[in-house]
Amino acid sequence: MARTKKNRLIQMAPHFNGFKPQGLHHKSNSEVIINFEEYEALKLCDYELFTQAEAAALMNISRPTFTRIYESVRRKIAKAFIEGSQIVFEGGNVNVIQWYRCSECDIAFTLTDDTNPHCPLCQSKTITLNS
Amino acid sequence: MIISISTNKNNVKATVSPHFARCEWFCLLNTDTKEYSFIENPLFNQQNHVGPHVVELLIKKGISAVIAGRFGAKVIDTLIKQNIQMIIPDSSKTIAKIINQLK
Repeated sequence: MARTKKNRLIQMAPHFNGFKPQGLHHKSNSEVIINFEEYEALKLCDYELFTQAEAAALMNISRPTFTRIYESVRRKIAKAFIEGSQIVFEGGNVNVIQWYRCSECDIAFTLTDDTNPHCPLCQSKTITLNS
Repeated sequence: MIISISTNKNNVKATVSPHFARCEWFCLLNTDTKEYSFIENPLFNQQNHVGPHVVELLIKKGISAVIAGRFGAKVIDTLIKQNIQMIIPDSSKTIAKIINQLK
């Protein structure tokens, strides 16, 4: 049996589900699945401009593993761009930091103490987990 | 509880800054008395490592929650270790509105 994968730490899941190519005459039937750890790797490296070693430490994985994930996401994006496939964000071995939402205040927030979950502004207890 | 709000102007009509550390002012809001004060961000023009330094500065002011439009990876890492709550409001929200939502 293969060794189970170590969970990668993700700070915030993307707030949308993916991308669609524009101007296709018929519906594109292929899709490229980018999992959350790949999304996070790309974000840390190319958006927040961390070095691969720093990014790996933030995701709780080793530097070679990070490089492998990063390489894979770049290939997937290139494939989707060239072939006009849809990109879908899905799955992966991840631990996502939990963000909650209060619909009344329109805010997203983290909790520091799980025993009494409530909105930090209006103190309302009706909060939902943001997924 | 004291909340820090990142903003670019020092009045309550200003909106929340889209960046946590690279903003010009911090509004320190006491949620119990609804009193607030503004402090200037001394690290605004610094090149690197602004985030962790700002967190250090704000911890000295005794905050237990922060409000900003977006947090960087290192900042989230430090804030979670320090057990500080992060809040991301809608981008158009002003400080006055946040004060009004307090109960």
